[in-house]
Amino acid sequence: MFNGSLFWFAMGVLFVFVAWAFKTFADDRGWRLNWWKGLLALLWYAILSLSLYAWGTLAGEGEAGAGFKLFLIGLFVCIVFGAGLVRLLIHRPKTQAEPSPQ
Amino acid sequence: MGKEKNSSVSRRNFLKIAGLAGAGAQAGAFVAAGVAAGKDSESYTGWESFNPGTQFFNRKPFEFDGPAHAPVGEVRRPSHITDYVFGRVRTFQMAYQVNPEWTLEDPIEDLGLIPELVEFYKRFPERLEWDFRTFNETVPANREDQEKYGNFFKLAEIYSSGFTSHGMHLPSPESPPEESDFTVSMRGRSHQLDDPAPFKSPELATEFFKELAHRYGATLVGVTRTNPAWLYSEGWRGCPDDYDFSSMPEHWEFAIVIGVPMEWDVILSSPQFSTSYDAYDRVSTAAVRLEGALKFAGYAARAHTPMTGYDLIVPPHAVEAGLGEVGRTGFCITPELGGNCRMAVVTTNLPMVPDRPIHFGVAEFCAKCKLCAESCPSGAMSMADSPDGMVIRGYEHWFINNGACYNYWRESMGPMGCRMCVATCPYSRKDNWIHDVAREVDPRDPTGVVSSSLLWMQKNLFPYPEAEEYRRPPTGRFASFREPPFYLEAERYLDLEIVKPRRE
Repeated sequence: MFNGSLFWFAMGVLFVFVAWAFKTFADDRGWRLNWWKGLLALLWYAILSLSLYAWGTLAGEGEAGAGFKLFLIGLFVCIVFGAGLVRLLIHRPKTQAEPSPQ
Repeated sequence: MGKEKNSSVSRRNFLKIAGLAGAGAQAGAFVAAGVAAGKDSESYTGWESFNPGTQFFNRKPFEFDGPAHAPVGEVRRPSHITDYVFGRVRTFQMAYQVNPEWTLEDPIEDLGLIPELVEFYKRFPERLEWDFRTFNETVPANREDQEKYGNFFKLAEIYSSGFTSHGMHLPSPESPPEESDFTVSMRGRSHQLDDPAPFKSPELATEFFKELAHRYGATLVGVTRTNPAWLYSEGWRGCPDDYDFSSMPEHWEFAIVIGVPMEWDVILSSPQFSTSYDAYDRVSTAAVRLEGALKFAGYAARAHTPMTGYDLIVPPHAVEAGLGEVGRTGFCITPELGGNCRMAVVTTNLPMVPDRPIHFGVAEFCAKCKLCAESCPSGAMSMADSPDGMVIRGYEHWFINNGACYNYWRESMGPMGCRMCVATCPYSRKDNWIHDVAREVDPRDPTGVVSSSLLWMQKNLFPYPEAEEYRRPPTGRFASFREPPFYLEAERYLDLEIVKPRRE
């Protein structure tokens, strides 16, 4: 059930939905989500997802404790990276007045 | 207008809440998918459904022109009498039984051992002490432990015995190589080989027999030239004592090396619950099948296997055949199976194309890892940072005190043996994505940062019992590296009095 092609297709559909919701959320907050900021947000989500997947994989092979510790490491990276990402997303560059021609 | 606006905002909020719920669902699904990947039967390399897919590591980028072994001193062929620990201890014990008054303080010459063994013990006095201790102290103590705790490990012995009893029936050569290797035996009748099947090229012959080997049950297959320096110096199967063992039979020119893993969940429950015989039986069966196929194709062949006996040592041939690299443990560490690999060789005169040896970072990793040595209950393995200066039979590699190693074999419970160095080796891991990432990335990192990071994780995330815990009570508790699989739990199945060993 959790490793077939249908499962990963459904995960892909769900991810599109999540990404759409995040874009809506960012727009409503007034964040300027250009392509590279979007890519960074995607990377953040990928690290979090991979940490969860790794936890599950190690738990599946009977190393649940090691999996959880690995997840905590991934979570720590996500928190640090996420804090920087949020600052980047809420940051608005100051608009400078055009110099007078005279 | 106002109504329309409110409805629009509501839809956006709904989308955001649903997106958050979707992210939560994905989080749970990733964990569940991970669990499925970790449990996947296809991750049990060598035990899954289709064998040819088991040699999945691309060796090409790591190949180099051999040989992988360069002598650094005078090369001496291995001996059944001295180097082979089983034969050595048995010979010592038999001599001791004739002279039971002998003690370690007495001259070894008083035992009436053959001169080769006397010389060996003088060169390696620590082996003398360990071998003596094995049959004089450890075996009697183990008999008591079997009485007390044996039922706890009974299912592991039953599991192992199924493989042993089958493997014991595999045919072993009964006449010298010049005769038996050229004879096909079937249903009690023997006949000479037919004319050799003419293969279009050695490349195609190699390809064909590798494919057959996989289908006969081999997880890994490689080809090399047989090295006369790695033939036993005496005692080849089917040969009389006066046989000329000084030169290699010409028809042993090529060696097909095959490997099979021990069952993955069972090997992790080493030392007490695991067995070598599941892989011994399977690799021996595959090798005997391969020998039969070669002979029916008209080529001389002889299988050298754990169940039918060896006339040569296998690990260096496996290294030359590109199956892996020699590690601190002394055996061949392969990319797919790590150290969890039992091997056999089929020698033949079929012209083939040898594989090239590979270097994928084992030597560097072993130098800093030492997990096997730290976990070794007998302390038989070297803790040195480098094998520099450790010369064994003319070749430099990590030193292993096989007397101490064998001593613990006889102390342990369950099927005889230990295999802790196999179980603890970070390379001995299943075929799932998390270990595959490590397999692929580490050998491509010239800086060693990846291997150091992986090693840090291995040592800090995964539990490793103290080596002493594997010993017998009172100092130990007959611990296992990991819990045994459910089907080896005696308490679950047996209506017997079961005493679980504990530290006193």
